This record gives sequence, C-alpha cells and structure tokens, in this order.
Amino acid sequence: MTATLSRSVPITRAPRGRRPRSRAAAWAAVAVIGLFGLAPIYWLVVTAFTPDERAFTFPPSLVPTELTFDHFTKLADNEKLFGYLVNSVVVSVVTAFLSVVVSAYMAYAFSKFRYRGRKSLMHLVLASQLFPQALLLVTLYAVFSASGLLGGYTSLILSFTTFTLPLCVWMLKGIFDTVPSTLMEAAAIDGASRWRTLHRIALPLAAPGLVAAGLFAFVRAWNDFIFALTLTDPDRQTLPPGLVHTYLGEFQTAWPDLMAASFVVSLPVIAAFMFLQRYLVGGLTAGAVKG
Amino acid sequence: MNRRLTDGQFAWLLMVPGLALFLAIIAYPLVSALVTGFFEQSLVLPGRAFVGLDNFADLLGGDFWPVLRNTLVFTLGATIAPFVIGYALALALDAGLPGWLRGVFLFPWVIPGVVVSFLWLWIFNANYGVLNGLLGTHVSWLGAPATAMIAVIVTKTWASFPWMMVMLLAGLQTMPKELHEAASVDGAGAIRRFRSVTVPHMRAIAGIAFLLEFIWNFQHFDTIYVLTGGGPAGATKTFAVAVYDTAFKGFDLGHATALGGLWMLLLLVLMAFYLRKENA
Repeated sequence: MTATLSRSVPITRAPRGRRPRSRAAAWAAVAVIGLFGLAPIYWLVVTAFTPDERAFTFPPSLVPTELTFDHFTKLADNEKLFGYLVNSVVVSVVTAFLSVVVSAYMAYAFSKFRYRGRKSLMHLVLASQLFPQALLLVTLYAVFSASGLLGGYTSLILSFTTFTLPLCVWMLKGIFDTVPSTLMEAAAIDGASRWRTLHRIALPLAAPGLVAAGLFAFVRAWNDFIFALTLTDPDRQTLPPGLVHTYLGEFQTAWPDLMAASFVVSLPVIAAFMFLQRYLVGGLTAGAVKG
Repeated sequence: MNRRLTDGQFAWLLMVPGLALFLAIIAYPLVSALVTGFFEQSLVLPGRAFVGLDNFADLLGGDFWPVLRNTLVFTLGATIAPFVIGYALALALDAGLPGWLRGVFLFPWVIPGVVVSFLWLWIFNANYGVLNGLLGTHVSWLGAPATAMIAVIVTKTWASFPWMMVMLLAGLQTMPKELHEAASVDGAGAIRRFRSVTVPHMRAIAGIAFLLEFIWNFQHFDTIYVLTGGGPAGATKTFAVAVYDTAFKGFDLGHATALGGLWMLLLLVLMAFYLRKENA
C-alpha cells in the first residue's frame, strides 16, 4: 500500500495532450460515454420532480415542462419510510464505528509486528471478500436463527462489519505503514506500553484514514440489499429492501415517488464519496497491489 | 503493562475481534454450507438426512447447466463492456482533460445498487419508459428472455464502468511520460504507442481489474434480483439468484448449498488466478 500511495502520485507530469487533435478525440470519447453515464442520472432527477400526470404520458417529454415537490413532501409524510430510514442510520453508523475499531487493531497488527502466519492471514482477509455472499447468507440465516439474533439489528451489523474488513484493514495497514517506526521506538524508550503507543501515537496519526474507513463501512451498510432483505424482520429492514417492499410489486409502481426516494437515499452516499475522493484510488487499488 | 507478552502475542491479541468475526460470519457458514450440500435439509423444519451425492446428481442432471450458462453470459458481458468503456474513458481523461470530470463519472458507481435497479426499471418500462419513448416502441425489455439478459448487462455495466475507469486511470498515471516521448521521437503514431507502450505497462493492473470485476459479477445478486428476479422463464437466473431462491423461496437447503458448492468450486479456480496475480 505504501507502494500504492507513491504509485498513484503522478511521477513526472509534463502537460499531456498538447496536440489539439488528441484532445479533441478525448473530448469526443468523454461526450459519448458521458451520455451513457449521466443521462440516466438526469432522468432520475427529472422524474423525481415531474407531476404524476406528466410522468405517465407516452412518449415522455425529455425536458421537464412542469415541476413539483409533491413527491418529496409525500416522502416526508410516510411513517413507514421514516422507520426504514431510522433503521438504515442505526445499522450504518454502528457498523462504521465497529468496523473502524476492529479493522484498526487488525491493520496495526499486520503493519507493525512480524510473526508466524502473518502473511497467510493477510491473504485470507483479502480473499474473504471473494466468497459468494448469497451462499454465506443461506447458512448465516441458520446461524443467526439458532443464536436468536435473527430479525434484529445485530445480525446485520455483525455481517456488514465483517464484509468491510478486507477493504478497511488493507487501507489502514497502508496508513500505519507510513507511520515511522522510530516514533514508536522512541515512545517505548520513554516507557510507554504497546497499548499506549497504539492509542496515543499511531491512532491519532492515522485519524484521517480512520474517518475514511468509517465512511466506507457506512456506505457498505447503507447500500446493502440482500442481507437486509433476508436477515431482519420487516420493521427492522433498512431502506434498500424497504423501498422494494414499498414501491415494487404493486400493480402500477409510483415511479416519480420512487425516483424521489432514490434521490434522497443516494444523497448521504454521494456526500461521503465527495469527502472520500482523495482516498478512493489508494483504497480501491489497495486490494490489487501486494502489501 | 504488557511487557510479559511477546510482540507476536500482542499482535494476535489485537486480531482477536477481527478473527472472531471472520470465523463466525465467513469461515463457519462457508464450511457448514459445503457440508449441508450432502444432506436433505429444509430451511424451516428441524432435522436432516444424509443423502450423499444425490443433490449434486440432481443438479448436474438438470438445473446446473442453464444457470452456469446464464452466469457466464452475464459475467462476460458485464465485465467486458465496463472494461472497454472504462479503459476508453481513462485514456481520454489522461489526455489532459480537467480533473473534475473524473468525479462526475463516479455517480453511477456511487449510488446504491437498488437505486441503480429502480432507475433502469423505470428506463426500461414497457408503457412509459424513456427508452421506448426515444425509440417509439412499446417493447417489454425485461419481459422477454432475449432482451432481459441484455438489459441486465447494460444496467450492471452502467454501475461498474466508473470503477474500471478509476483503476485504469491509476495505472495510466504511473506510466513514465518519457516512454511516450521516446516512442514519439522514434516516429511511433498514437495507435502504435498505445499498443507498444501503454498496453504492456497496463497489463498487470488491467488484468487484476478485469479479474476482480469478473469475480464480483460471477456472484452478483442485487441488480438481477430487482430487475428480473431471475426471469423471465429463468433467462437471467444466475448462481446467486438460483441459490437464494432455492433456499429462501423453495426452503430447500440441501439443493441450495449443493449448487453453492459447485459455484464455489468455479470461484476457487478464479480466486487461484487472482491470488497468483497478486503475488506475481
């Protein structure tokens, strides 16, 4: 990951694409892909503000002729959706905290100590994100059912925390790797215990990374569908399965309402990623570069 | 305070919470699933009976093959398309375009998977969908086996190409500029430089990005389940959907986990590739 960080920094960056022709070709490619990538987003937003009677006409008008906030006010008045929102917030926030604590300790152990089994464990953590979750879910259902945790928040929080560990551990390991060992040796000479060194020196230095890991975990929990759909009771479900139950499966789906809800559900995640942008490349490629 | 512990013991102590979670949430369920494949067992009723290889024989005599075919078609389509689009976009953005563009293109990848599914359900809608509006048709894209798979692949492609772009752009930005300049001085054109300089430099990261996306698609669930539920007539039923439905709609744990076992076997092959690339 140290390697990743330094690698993701441009090495010698002379201005590129000085030839106007290649610049024009690049803009053309961006325009075409941009149409595919961003037109659906535009449609989501437009539909969310379109009155029902205009949304359900054919062919649809690509440019909005009438705007309304009705769908959003309807959302705010819906108590069931508010319940799903509360569930989402509780599950995602607790997952974020738990994930930061567990992955920070684990990452610190991977980064600052050398012992037997370290390398194989690191690979196991990395590989665990590749196991099929639909299969794990089948037997996890039985595990949580037997332990009486089925139906509540706990089953979701424990599952999500575990699934965020590979990314969070590898990201934080990369950050601990950049904390100079001399700092810790100095602390040890001054008589600080290993716990003290970890909590008073390493963790504060890694604080931005801890925030980033927490946000990643938050987003993972916020976005999950299959576990939230299966492991909890209907009144404990988070927004993704909640929205499916609320809007789909009716004879005529209230598309503008659903687009408004989709818009609102996406906002926290978009905000998190705006903050995370600079960690993104390092965190994403962490799993792809050997440690 | 912890002077009596060795460094190794201290490190293991720090890993206890994480390892406990791994054992409970990943290792135990995985082993238990692989074992359950040899039993006849219900999701809701107690008790089970050992049936040997019966479940596997049932599956290999029928359901396994269409599911394998669907999974391969979906996985190949939903990996190659975002790879090509992401690569093209990464090359374009690396050619000196403003940096904020990268952030704009992340939106499809950042928004929750169910939102992606809702949005494309609405776009593909047979009666009022904007796609039919543009084409002047009333095609039920998700209702016909021939188009449902394409629609699901398009949706997943839309959600994945930004990730490909980020990975490949990271690779492009590590390419020493001098290589291109030297090739340019030697008279190599843009296509020649792409083939002889960019592609070899990008081989490692492009290979890993492709393989990871392949593995993720091989187990993808959300988009398919919300868009088609595996239908129509099983045309988009992949391993993830089939295992889920067998367990939670058919309550047949034995067949669900046996199918999962076969699925795992295929995944292990892919994972072996991935770990070898990691260590290469």
